Amino acid sequence: MISRVTQQTSMLAAQRNLQSSAAQLAKLQDQAMTRKAFSRASEDPSGAADAMRIRSQQRSNDQYSRNIDNGLGWVTTIDSTLTEINDAMKRVRDLTVQGANDGALSPTAKEAIAVELDSLKEQLLGLANTQYLGRSVFAGNSSDGVAFNPDYSFTGAAGSTVERRIGTDTTVRVDGDGAAAFGVGANSVFALIDTIATELRGGTNIGARLGDIDQRMNALRTEHSAVGSRHALIMRAEETVMDKTGSLEAQRAAVEDIELSRIILDLKSQEISYQAALGVTARVLQPTLMDFLR
Amino acid sequence: MSTFSGLNTAYRGLSAAKAGLDVSGQNIANARTEGYTRQRLTTSAIGGPAMAGKFSLGVRPGGGVNIDGIARLGDVHLDARVRAAAGVSGFSAARATAFSGLESALNEPGDKGISTQLDKFWASWQDVANAPGEAAQGGVLLQQAGALAKQLSTTYSEFDNQWSQLRGEVRDLTAELNSAATQLADLNGRIRSATASGSSVNELLDQRSLLTTTIAAIAGGTVRDAGDGTIDVYIGGNALVTGTTARSVNVIGSNTMAGSDTNPVTLEWSHRPGTAISLDGGELGGAVSMLAPAAAGGPIAKAAESLNAFAQKLADAVNTVHRTGAIADGSTGHDFFAFTAGKPLAQGLTIVPTGIADIAAAKPGNGGLDGSIADAISQLGEGAGSPDTFWSNFVVELGVTTRSENRQADLSNLATTAAVGKQLANASVDIDEENVSLLMYQHAYQGAARVMTAVDEMLDVLINRTGLVGR
Repeated sequence: MISRVTQQTSMLAAQRNLQSSAAQLAKLQDQAMTRKAFSRASEDPSGAADAMRIRSQQRSNDQYSRNIDNGLGWVTTIDSTLTEINDAMKRVRDLTVQGANDGALSPTAKEAIAVELDSLKEQLLGLANTQYLGRSVFAGNSSDGVAFNPDYSFTGAAGSTVERRIGTDTTVRVDGDGAAAFGVGANSVFALIDTIATELRGGTNIGARLGDIDQRMNALRTEHSAVGSRHALIMRAEETVMDKTGSLEAQRAAVEDIELSRIILDLKSQEISYQAALGVTARVLQPTLMDFLR
Repeated sequence: MSTFSGLNTAYRGLSAAKAGLDVSGQNIANARTEGYTRQRLTTSAIGGPAMAGKFSLGVRPGGGVNIDGIARLGDVHLDARVRAAAGVSGFSAARATAFSGLESALNEPGDKGISTQLDKFWASWQDVANAPGEAAQGGVLLQQAGALAKQLSTTYSEFDNQWSQLRGEVRDLTAELNSAATQLADLNGRIRSATASGSSVNELLDQRSLLTTTIAAIAGGTVRDAGDGTIDVYIGGNALVTGTTARSVNVIGSNTMAGSDTNPVTLEWSHRPGTAISLDGGELGGAVSMLAPAAAGGPIAKAAESLNAFAQKLADAVNTVHRTGAIADGSTGHDFFAFTAGKPLAQGLTIVPTGIADIAAAKPGNGGLDGSIADAISQLGEGAGSPDTFWSNFVVELGVTTRSENRQADLSNLATTAAVGKQLANASVDIDEENVSLLMYQHAYQGAARVMTAVDEMLDVLINRTGLVGR
């Protein structure tokens, strides 16, 4: 059925069509300017859920990257410290071997070795108390400021390690185990060197102490390799996080962002159709019978 | 057959044509008047006088044209359809607008929403875990927690404002409804007396039709013809207007969202207090349904309740872990979040620690610079029962509901547009048509004038030129 068409109905229809065309144009303009496919959850509820999840993952991923940077600082500090400690221990071993040859050494020479051993011990104690960003790297979570007190007691708590989170379910230990590496109190490497120096000065042959020194050097090497493997773990995690940063951004863009070339094309064609609608409306609404009657 | 009957017939033709011109003039004058229904002159032919006499013979021509009246070319069924559509579309438009308002208050998805603040909050806990005891990281965490609480509170206030604004709209709509009802009752009376005195009521009917559409859009009213020219209007099953009597509607109930739990917003008849009117359509019905308390499914109150539940969930999750941690002086059992008494939870969320010394980042016995508790708290955002999941579910649920409400509003708007289009197609004035009518009536007038001239000349011949033979 063809319903009756009057000026009023065609005017209303024209108005409505122009309005919807303009609304479509405004929506496309908005999308083109923000380059977002939707700005409200109701426009695409499942997309909004995805977008929120991905954004949250991105934020966590950024944080993992910060944690990794921080962790890398710890392990590289420990790594270089342990290398220095290893050099110092080598010197301690050389001096002990030299000192054990007591028949050929004058008391003055022995004293010289003992003095050097004393200073090496001080150096080792200083290295064991190495700090990174104000934290003793071998002291675990101790807040005492040093890992080893002057009486060689260890300040860290047993089983309390410094961990950095490098993934949702993964943490990695970034501190050095001071107790395992250096020993504690009378069993520590510092006490050992003190004993050697005392024995050297007292005339006891220190050759028997070589075994103890090797034992401590082994402990330090074990710690060094453990730190090295954790270093590698963190480096791998860094790569993973970087890969993930890229893929998460790609995911976010796929969900949220709009393809610019497509939106520009849509916008252009909508502009043309809007102008066409305007032109057609102007032509259709003009004439009435009055224009043709004398 | 009278001598002058021809003149009379011509005169009737003239006056009918003139009335026709007047009606067309009225139509053209009101071509853009809202609610105007086009009118037509209805005429009928007058038959010849009956032949009653015994010796009357032959046929007689008719006596001209009679003006029967001016018809209003409206269609009550089309009007009824417009009213029904307006009721539905008013209802869904009111709801869709309110839902969109709720949604835009959330600013989700995007980097200005609560989800982003929450992510930042968890990330600051990681920074504290990386550097326990550092005042800078602790300060950032406290500031971030404050920002989260502030945004939660602002969102709640926006919900509250929207509720109050809608409450104001309900008051205004009720006033509008009552005034429309009064006007309609008055028009009923005028139409009844005008009909009784036989005058034209077309323009009054147009006005009344507009008013019924207004009432339908506000309250979803239905109309029943009383038979004496008046109509009765019913809303929610009860009469708003009967004949010349208008009843008024009152809004009762709390003026604040907080008070609406115990004192919900309802409509009642002012002449029968205590009886609630349940509206199933119209803007007023939609607005009142949005204002319902949360227990009765009121969307705004429910959204606000979800914010409170979120605040509670966040505080519980963080506090549970935070209590197990030791603060700087080594003591445990300290809360991170607290609630101000007497305020809605979402607005009363406060941060207990004032500095890094009050933040329990360390596990007791693990050393003062342990960050394992801070790390554990930073992981609270992950997983199925986390505050993040709760929030994202809330946002998505609101989004889905808003989407369906918007769709309903769009559909009912389409139905209204179609109904109004049909009504206008039938009732609106077409200038072309009126031009044609003008032409026709003009020619009819000229024709009738010609007839009159012919009769006049005939009589002139008969009176002035007859009987002069041989003079």
